[in-house]
Amino acid sequence: MSNLGHNYGTVRIQGDDPAVNTDRRRLLRIVGKGSVLAAFLAQLGAAGRAFFPNVLYEPPRKFNLKRPHDYPVGYTFDAAHRLYVIRNANAFHVISAICTHLGCNVQWKGTEFDCPCHGSRFNPDGTVISGPAPQPLSWFEANESPDGFLQVDTAEPVARGFRFVPPNLKA
Amino acid sequence: MRERLSKLWRTLAWSWSPASERESSEAIVKNFWLHWFPVKVARASMDFNYSFWLGTASAALLAILTITGVMLMFFYVPSTERAYGSIKDLEYAVSFGRLLRNQHRWAAEGMVAVVFIHMARVFFTGAYRGPRAMNWLVGVALLFATLLLSFTGYLLPWDQLAYWAVTVGTGIARQAPIVGNTLALILLGGNQIGQQTLLRFYVMHVFFLPVFAWILFGYHMWRVRKDGGLAAIEPLRNARTSTPRETPAAKSYSLFGVTVGTSVAVRSSMQLEERDQVAASPNLIRRMMLVFLIVFNATLAAALLFNAPLEGPANPAVTPNPAKAPWYFVWLQELVASTTIHLGPYTVSGALLGGILVPGILLAILAAWPFLDQSPREAEGLWFARNRNRQNLVFAAITGAIIILIFVGVFLRGPYWRLYWPGMPRPAMPTLM
Ligand code: HEM
Ligand code: FES
Repeated sequence: MSNLGHNYGTVRIQGDDPAVNTDRRRLLRIVGKGSVLAAFLAQLGAAGRAFFPNVLYEPPRKFNLKRPHDYPVGYTFDAAHRLYVIRNANAFHVISAICTHLGCNVQWKGTEFDCPCHGSRFNPDGTVISGPAPQPLSWFEANESPDGFLQVDTAEPVARGFRFVPPNLKA
Repeated sequence: MRERLSKLWRTLAWSWSPASERESSEAIVKNFWLHWFPVKVARASMDFNYSFWLGTASAALLAILTITGVMLMFFYVPSTERAYGSIKDLEYAVSFGRLLRNQHRWAAEGMVAVVFIHMARVFFTGAYRGPRAMNWLVGVALLFATLLLSFTGYLLPWDQLAYWAVTVGTGIARQAPIVGNTLALILLGGNQIGQQTLLRFYVMHVFFLPVFAWILFGYHMWRVRKDGGLAAIEPLRNARTSTPRETPAAKSYSLFGVTVGTSVAVRSSMQLEERDQVAASPNLIRRMMLVFLIVFNATLAAALLFNAPLEGPANPAVTPNPAKAPWYFVWLQELVASTTIHLGPYTVSGALLGGILVPGILLAILAAWPFLDQSPREAEGLWFARNRNRQNLVFAAITGAIIILIFVGVFLRGPYWRLYWPGMPRPAMPTLM
C-alpha cells in the first residue's frame, strides 16, 4: 500500500471487528459462505451436464437393407446409410463410405475409392493408397435378418476379409 | 420554440457544432452515449495514415452485422426441415430479404478481412508493447470470436456447403487428443449432425458469440483509453521527455479510479500539449459517423452487386466435389489435406497436425508475441520502424504463407482436391451420384 504515496484512510469492512470475530463465528461464516458457494458451483455443473445428451433421436446403428438377391455383383452405394454393399458371386461384405480423414463420402471409381474433400484414395478393400486419410475405411458386420433382408450393424466393425454368404441365396 | 427544440436536442444528443471548448467537452462528458469517449484526442491518433481507421471500420462492421442479423432472425427458422426453405423465402418471398441476407454475408466476410488487416496494422506499427500488450490479447480474442461467428453463421442456411463444412469442422474437433470425442459430442449434440447441432450453432451465433464480441469490444476501447491513447503518440512522448520510459506515477482523473499497485496503469498524457490535441466533439464523432457511413455503403453496394451463395439443400448422401471451406478457412483445409504423416507404423492425421496443432501454435505465438518481442521501445507507434525489421518480416512471412495457401485452395483446387493450373481443363463433376 505504501507505493501509493497517499493516505486514503482506513476502510472498515463490516464483520471484521476483532471483538466479535471469534473462532466460532469465523467457522460459521466459512460453513455458511462455503455451502452457498458449493450450491452455486453444483448448479453450474448441472447446467453444463445438460449439454451431454441422454436421448439421441438418431437412426439405429443396426438396420436392414434390401434382400441379398437385389444387389448386383460389384459395389453398390447406399446413400441413406453412407456405406457400400459389395457382392462377389454369393459373398457379401460392407465397407463404410465415410472417409476416415474428416468424414466426407468416398466415391467408388471402378478400381478405387476417392474422397472429394481432400483427395484421399483407397484400395477396393478400403486400405489407404494416398492422401491425408490416416486409417483404412471401416468394415461392418453383415448378416441376414429373419425375414430375409441383408442386415448391417455399424456398431460392429469387423476385420478386413470378412465375408457373409447368405444361406438361401439363389445365385 | 426553436430555442426549446435545440435545447431538447442538446440534452438528448450533443452539441453538434460546439461554440466553445466548454460546450465541446460537455457534449462528451454529459452525454450517456458518448461518456466513454475522451474529451480530447491526440492529433496523431486521429491520423488516417497511422491507423487507416481500421479498428473503427471493424466496429462499424460489427454494428452492421448485429443490426442485419437481428433483422434476419425475424425470418430464419433454426430447424433442419425449415432452415433452407426460410433462406429461400428470404431470397424470393420477403421484400428486400435478399438484400438483407447479402449485406449480412458480405459484412461478415469483410469483417474477417478488416479485423485481420487491423491486426496487421497494429503489428507493423509496433503498437502492442508495454501496457498495450493486454489490449493485443483482447484483440486476439476478438479475432477468434470473429472467426467463430463466421463458422457458426456458415452452417445456418443448411445447404450443402454448410453441411459439409460442419462435417469437416467437427471432424477436426474429433481429432483433438483425449477430449476430441467429448468435444464433438457437445458440438453436435449427438453422434451425427442433426437438429441439435443446428440449434446449438444457432444459439452460439445469435446470442453468445455476439454478446461476447460486444463485451470484448467495450473492454478493448476502455483499454485504448487507459493505456494512454493510441501508440501513435509514443514518438511524440519520446521526443518530449529525456527519460522516455519513466512514465510519471500512475494518475487517474476519474472520480472513483483509485489505481493501486500495478493494476491498470493510467498513463498520463502530460507531455501532450494543447496544440497536439483536438476536441472529440465534433472531430472524433464526425470521423466515426463517416467511417460507419462509408462501411455501410460499401457493404450495401456489395449486397446490390453480388448475391450470397446458396447451394442445394443439405444432403448427407452426396459430398460436393470438391467440397471447399469458405476462403478464410481454406488455408486450414489445405493444411488438413496435406499434413498427414506416416512414421513407420504410426500415422498422425492431418486433422490433428494441420487442423489443431498448427493453428493452435500460431494462435499461441500470436498471443505470446508482445511478451517475447525484444525490439527497442523507440520503434513504438511508427510504421515499419527499421529496428523492427526482423519482427515485421516474420509476421509478413506467416501472413504471406497463409495468403498463398488461400490462393491455392480457392483457385487451383479442383475435383478430388487435385491441383489444376489455370487453363487446365477440369473434369465436369456430376452433382448427384
Ligand atoms: C472485432 C474486432 C476488433 C475491433 C472492433 C477493434 C477495434 C479497435 C479500435 C476502434 C481501435 C482504435 C484504433 C484504430 O481504429 O485502429 C483499436 C486499437 C487496437 N487494437 Fe483493435 N479491434 C479489433 C480486433 C483487434 C485484433 C484482432 C487485435 C490484435 C490481435 C487488436 C489489437 C489492437 C491494439 C493493440 C490496439 C491499440 C493500437 C494502438 O495503440 O495503435 N484489435 N481496435
Ligand atoms: S475427408 Fe476425405 S480426404 Fe479429408
